[in-house]
Amino acid sequence: MRPLQSCWLCLLFCCCSRKNLVFGACFFGVFAVEYFRKDVIAIMNDIITTACKFVTSSIGRKILVALTGACLLLFLVGHLAGNMTIYGGDPGNGVPSWIDAYATGLHTMPAWLLWAIRLGLAAILLIHVVLTLALKIENVNARTQYQKEGTLKATLSSRTMVLTGIMIFCFLVFHLWQLTVNGDPANCYQHIVDAFTSPICSGFYILAICCLFMHVRHGLQSVFQTLGLSTRKVRPLYNIIAVLFGLVVCGAFISIPVAVLCGILK
Amino acid sequence: MANLNLTLKVWRQENAQAQGRIETYKAKNIPDEASFLEMLDIVNEELVHEGKEPIVFDHDCREGICGMCSLTINGVPHGGKKVTTCQLHMRQFKDGDTIWIEPFRAQAFPLLRDLMVDRTALDNIIAAGGFVDIRTGSAPNANNMPVRKKTADAAFDAAACVGCGACVASCKNSSAMLFTSAKAAHLNLLPQGQPEKNKRVLAMVRQMDALGFGNCTNQYECEAACPKGISVDNIAKLNRDYMIACAAEAVGVFA
Repeated sequence: MRPLQSCWLCLLFCCCSRKNLVFGACFFGVFAVEYFRKDVIAIMNDIITTACKFVTSSIGRKILVALTGACLLLFLVGHLAGNMTIYGGDPGNGVPSWIDAYATGLHTMPAWLLWAIRLGLAAILLIHVVLTLALKIENVNARTQYQKEGTLKATLSSRTMVLTGIMIFCFLVFHLWQLTVNGDPANCYQHIVDAFTSPICSGFYILAICCLFMHVRHGLQSVFQTLGLSTRKVRPLYNIIAVLFGLVVCGAFISIPVAVLCGILK
Repeated sequence: MANLNLTLKVWRQENAQAQGRIETYKAKNIPDEASFLEMLDIVNEELVHEGKEPIVFDHDCREGICGMCSLTINGVPHGGKKVTTCQLHMRQFKDGDTIWIEPFRAQAFPLLRDLMVDRTALDNIIAAGGFVDIRTGSAPNANNMPVRKKTADAAFDAAACVGCGACVASCKNSSAMLFTSAKAAHLNLLPQGQPEKNKRVLAMVRQMDALGFGNCTNQYECEAACPKGISVDNIAKLNRDYMIACAAEAVGVFA
């Protein structure tokens, strides 16, 4: 019997009796794959070949870096919105800070969802970092140094992307160790205030966020250019958006250690 | 007209294998209406009189349209005055200046001698797809083939690229994206280039990657150094066209 006819027979078979539904569906699947095997292989072959070429090409990798970077920017916004709950409530007068409820809330979400988000973010970060480093190594190898270097308009932030990126990564490891691994959701507020009371710890946070500003300032407008959404007309606008985004986000992040040091949060 | 006395720090290298070095020369009594290349001619004449090897550099039309002259002047290709080196005049410099003169540097541009580099890599990118296969005949009658004014202008601006390689030489990553994107955009924008658009984009980008150029990091040094004012809009367009071409290739829209 030809596979296609078998497919329809199976479909009929499973429609006749509910008991046979699973069996029927399995057979249907097997025959369908068998019938379309050559086409499926041909299509997958084309797609996989092109995908492989895409992720090894210069532009393809840059696009992946831009997309993962955009995801991380969105994560920053979410993270910041959560952090701002620290200014809610009045712990000095016995009203618990909103951030305690927020942190507890995060931990009461289903474990699978929490881990899906964590692993997803880790995967995005990994792609972003690995591809960037691969591109950077190629860039260094493609260049020959001048005896006298000159720069016309490349910004300091654009020339230090890898440096600020590494700094942010180191900060991230420390930050996760300090506030996630050794954190206690119920006492989140007190934990943060205790940590930032140390000027060294606060200083490190502020320095790292300044690096984040430089990274984001070039990264955000770079995303638009790499994804082909930029033209002469809108490029200055993207630049303004990037600087404003960086100032607002990084300023808000820095406000927490500053507030602790100034005694506004205690 | 005041004449200039300058100190030149020039890259000298006998051949591709030799160890290069910076040598110092005095350029005396240079008229300020001389072009940069004419200044080097004067220095070379003196070197020849002294029985020394003249400084080797690329040049051809000396009117800013051929793209043959190069030179990285004080770390910036063509000196960064939006003109080619041959159109850069000595009035841009002050008496007593020290000028660093180096070749266009990139791993993809092997040095031949002194300030002369081999820019064949750019030709290889063109050979991969910077053309149309069909016979387009001689210049068509005006308005025979309707092209929107904006499109025609954009194509013309992209076509202004003379292929000198200043974009590669100025890039912190030695990326050839500005050159490749201008050459691709020039044809992709026009009706004659449409049928082979996807094929062209894929071929040119893959050739560019294979030749050992770096990757663009959107610093726009290329645009600032370009003597022909090629816009980085072309790079954004190439990124866009590359995504479309990859999608078309994946689903087999063209062979």
